[in-house]
Amino acid sequence: MYRIRHYIRPEQIREFSLIFIIMLAVLFFGTQIDGYYSARTFNRIAASVAIITVLAAGQTLVILTRNIDLSIGSIVGFASYFAGQQLSANQDMHPLIAVGIAIGFGALLGSVNGLLVVYGRVPSIIVTLGTLAIYRGVLVDYAQAKTITTDMMPTWLVDLPRVNLFTVGEIEIRVMVGVAVLVVIAFQLCLTYLLLGRRLYAIGSNPDAARVAGLPARRIVLLAYILCGALAGLGGFMFLVRFGTITVSAGVGLELSAVAAAVVGGVNIFGGAGTMFGALFGAVVIGTLEQSLLRMPNVSEFVRDALLGLFILLAVASDAVILQQLRSLWARWAREARETPAAHSEKESGHAS
Amino acid sequence: MKKSFLILIILTVMSLSLVSAQDEAVVATPGETVNMILLPKFLGIAVFDQAHQGAEEAHAELQNAGTLEFLGPTQENSAAGQVEIVTTAASRDDVDAIMISNNAGDQLGPALEAAKAADQTVVTWDSPIPSGDSEDLFVAQVDFDQTGKVMADMALSILGEDGGKFAVLSASPDAANQNAWIASLQETLEDEAYASLELLDIVYGDDVTETSYDQALALVDKYPDMELIMAPTTVGIAAAAKAMQDEGLCETVKVSGLGLPAEMLDFTLNGCAPEFALWSFVDLGYVTYYATYLLATGAIEAEEGVSFEAGRMGVYTIEKDPTREVGLRIVMGPFSVYNIDNVEAAANPGGAEMTPEATEEG
Repeated sequence: MYRIRHYIRPEQIREFSLIFIIMLAVLFFGTQIDGYYSARTFNRIAASVAIITVLAAGQTLVILTRNIDLSIGSIVGFASYFAGQQLSANQDMHPLIAVGIAIGFGALLGSVNGLLVVYGRVPSIIVTLGTLAIYRGVLVDYAQAKTITTDMMPTWLVDLPRVNLFTVGEIEIRVMVGVAVLVVIAFQLCLTYLLLGRRLYAIGSNPDAARVAGLPARRIVLLAYILCGALAGLGGFMFLVRFGTITVSAGVGLELSAVAAAVVGGVNIFGGAGTMFGALFGAVVIGTLEQSLLRMPNVSEFVRDALLGLFILLAVASDAVILQQLRSLWARWAREARETPAAHSEKESGHAS
Repeated sequence: MKKSFLILIILTVMSLSLVSAQDEAVVATPGETVNMILLPKFLGIAVFDQAHQGAEEAHAELQNAGTLEFLGPTQENSAAGQVEIVTTAASRDDVDAIMISNNAGDQLGPALEAAKAADQTVVTWDSPIPSGDSEDLFVAQVDFDQTGKVMADMALSILGEDGGKFAVLSASPDAANQNAWIASLQETLEDEAYASLELLDIVYGDDVTETSYDQALALVDKYPDMELIMAPTTVGIAAAAKAMQDEGLCETVKVSGLGLPAEMLDFTLNGCAPEFALWSFVDLGYVTYYATYLLATGAIEAEEGVSFEAGRMGVYTIEKDPTREVGLRIVMGPFSVYNIDNVEAAANPGGAEMTPEATEEG
């Protein structure tokens, strides 16, 4: 039993507890909503969380470094508008080039954020609150009140939300869902195995120590912002694909949804802890609650928002309590192991035999 | 005897027509100087840009030597931004009139009071000041009671004579105009002629694309026998139509409501939203400008029964606003209903602008 602590950290159990919470929620809603246990429910929730998952992944990179990016709602809006405009002007543009434009544009705006945070030495919350308004303001001016509409878009883009990557029975994995999962897996691998990933954690855990240890902290934080902007650009492209009609208010408020998904998913708002899978689960928890409450009979508009807030609080609070308990349990085991090394090893060997 | 009686009648009629001639619509005198501000709910949306176009058209027509400024806040900052703009305008000497599409409820009260104290004319359009205080006149886009009938008629036209079940996808639960339209729809449905229509539910998409899209799909899941989503909001109708298209539901669930031709073009052509309605925001801006110009130059007073001519749009008479306790209004109207036959012309601004001019010349 003691040995568990060598292989699993409490933070990892936290992700399982999120899965447990999702299961509880699904069990509850199943009793309230007719035909809830169906492939359709899965398809709806999966499709609805795809965009926010990509944004939460980007946000996680920044939060890990003990910073925040509040401007991504505006980046999503601007990138989707810009990509839509380029596509409407060049109908034959290759899909990958169109995606590239959105990502590149997002990365550009992200790098502005990063440069201001790193070299301007202004707290990130203030910088990105400022650029949130600036990017949106420039977009309003740039757009000249013209709306991007579906009839301006090439057919492949309008049809893309319907395209399945593959289907299992009636469960459909849409291309957009596939993209989101791919992003999460790719960045999780980066966080776990690449030097960059480890450095993000190091900077967020203790910025001063990281600097003293000789880590190029500025470059890494800048890179985190560029990547976050790039993912917001990708999210913008997905926004264009899903909704088709893009006005200057596209993506308003998405920054808070992304932060919420990351934090519910166990990404520490003070940096240094959290995973991509956590952010994914956070997005799924919120998406499941939102979509299920929409489908629950006799729940009014006002009650629904309150319930959503309550459920999120419950999820995070119970999660925190569980994590606290686990941490102290781990600590106790560690202490016991130190105090009675002989007895401990005997016990363990006893178990083994 | 008979003859003199006839003469008497003729005389009476003539004198009556003389009296009414004195009461005839006031026509604006071009070339006066009125500095005006057109203040939309927020910038960057096609409808408000169209209202601006209409105002510019009237501005040129009336050869106003003054300025027409188009000032507005951003969407996130709409209410606070409107208050700020009106407050600044009230302290400026070079502003004679403010035309505002109110998005700040009664919060604009004090700022507008200051504007009135500075002798500025305040005309609301699209969305009035709920209390009716501190505004001279409200230019209503349509008669709110008519909206319900237009929606019910479109529902019947789409679903056929045997009717069916439908749901409403609105903007936010506290939007005054949305609620008035839905109430008018519910009232209309009580009429025998619409007995075959059943309203299942009213949901709110907050005029946010994502929320409206999700709400539309939730309606489909909640009510398997629903055949129509009625969205009296341009954001909601486009999002709902896209959702039905993405899920391949256009054959079973149709979308209708109030929408912009340019945004709905694809969905009308492919049958997802076969019919929808809207008024012209260009005309709304145009009429608003005329009313404001006349009020600001003192040609008319904001009083019940006063008539004036608003250029190409014809004659309007100021009346008491029945939708508010206090307040005067004129009603522009009418609705344009769009379907596969006319949506393309309306979506292409060049084509749409041509029509009224062509009829005038012909």
